[in-house]
Amino acid sequence: MSVRGPRLEFAVGAFLLLALASLLVLALASTNGKFGFGQATYPLTARFTNLGQLRPNAPVKIGGVTIGNVAAIQLDPVKLDAVVTLAIDDRYQDLPADTSAGILTGGLLGESYIGLQPGGDPEPLKPGEEIAFTTPAVDLIQMVGKYMFGGGKPAADSGEQDSGDATGADATVPPSPTE
Amino acid sequence: MPFVAATRSLGRAGLFSLSVLRASTPTRDFFAELVREIYKIGARSLPIIAVGGAFVGLSVTLLGYRALETYGASNQISALVGLGLYRELAPVLTALLFIGRAGSSIAAELGLMRATDQITALGLMAIDPVAKAVAPRFWAALISVPLLTALFCSLAISASYFEAVHVIGIEAGSFWQVLKDAVDFRHDFCVAFVKAAVFGGTAALVASYVGYHAEPTIEGTSVATTRAVVNASLLVLMFNFVLSAFLFQG
Repeated sequence: MSVRGPRLEFAVGAFLLLALASLLVLALASTNGKFGFGQATYPLTARFTNLGQLRPNAPVKIGGVTIGNVAAIQLDPVKLDAVVTLAIDDRYQDLPADTSAGILTGGLLGESYIGLQPGGDPEPLKPGEEIAFTTPAVDLIQMVGKYMFGGGKPAADSGEQDSGDATGADATVPPSPTE
Repeated sequence: MPFVAATRSLGRAGLFSLSVLRASTPTRDFFAELVREIYKIGARSLPIIAVGGAFVGLSVTLLGYRALETYGASNQISALVGLGLYRELAPVLTALLFIGRAGSSIAAELGLMRATDQITALGLMAIDPVAKAVAPRFWAALISVPLLTALFCSLAISASYFEAVHVIGIEAGSFWQVLKDAVDFRHDFCVAFVKAAVFGGTAALVASYVGYHAEPTIEGTSVATTRAVVNASLLVLMFNFVLSAFLFQG
């Protein structure tokens, strides 16, 4: 049963090498690679009336490219809306001051993320500044309910509905208190 | 009074663990013993861990696919397998397989050393038997179990990939991408190996304690072996719950 000397050491060395190699491959191929070596980021804040399913560490994307993540989510005790702190990668400086932020979902069952739409303002957002234009998360069940029980009204009936922008009008209606 | 006796035996076990840590000195003899123990309890456990891992990966994939298909979310199967493996299944199953194979052998060897008076002989020669016999096994287990867990995971994920992509028909690219998005490096991957190290150390300490303090008879050795496996398995499952409750708060 017991193996002597050099053969034993070779066997143990091979075992260790195999295990460490598989550890490395697993770390690279099956995790999200956030090794957390203090990547340089700067903070921005944004206020939302409804976060939907947004969680900390959710990605922040511009046009589908991830530029940062959600660092913290807090409730403002005075105004009672959600204050989200975004950690934006230092490589993406000088976002325009009229950038708008919205909470989008990757697919029907996907995770929520924050999508930024840059505007055209030559003034940049400084670290720590608040994003002025935000759109809250869309609640699918509410929308379905609205269309099922109150939809199909002609545009002339209620003055607030625009001809082609039904989604925009829905988004400005405040969420119902039953949530 | 059974409560007093139980508390005393728990205290003895704790003091034994402390003496194992104190007796671990990095001498050349220690490293020679360590290498030998890593071979015996680590490298030779490879077949059971590998085969176990492959079949666990296949089973969880099949089970998860049936459950997720109902919601049309069957391409999330790799997230289910990856998170389930790293968070719970890999550390616990590797530890239980390790206890069954290596824990019983540690307890049996130490029990036999006690029964054949080798421990007394070492004491007579002024060699600390804990430093010579127990400490290398403890450190070998602490090193081997995380490595065995890594091999368990890699085989389970490979088997899951094979089942999902080639048998069930999930797309290969989305399999890996969903897996990479779901598993966090620090909160899932690293935690799995911290858990595995804790379980390995616990298993080795329990098996060593029971074997070292076995009755010096043949019956005593066999009782020690079964007690080691049962107690170590129960402790691993309890610590798994405690660690999960503390570490997975998100």
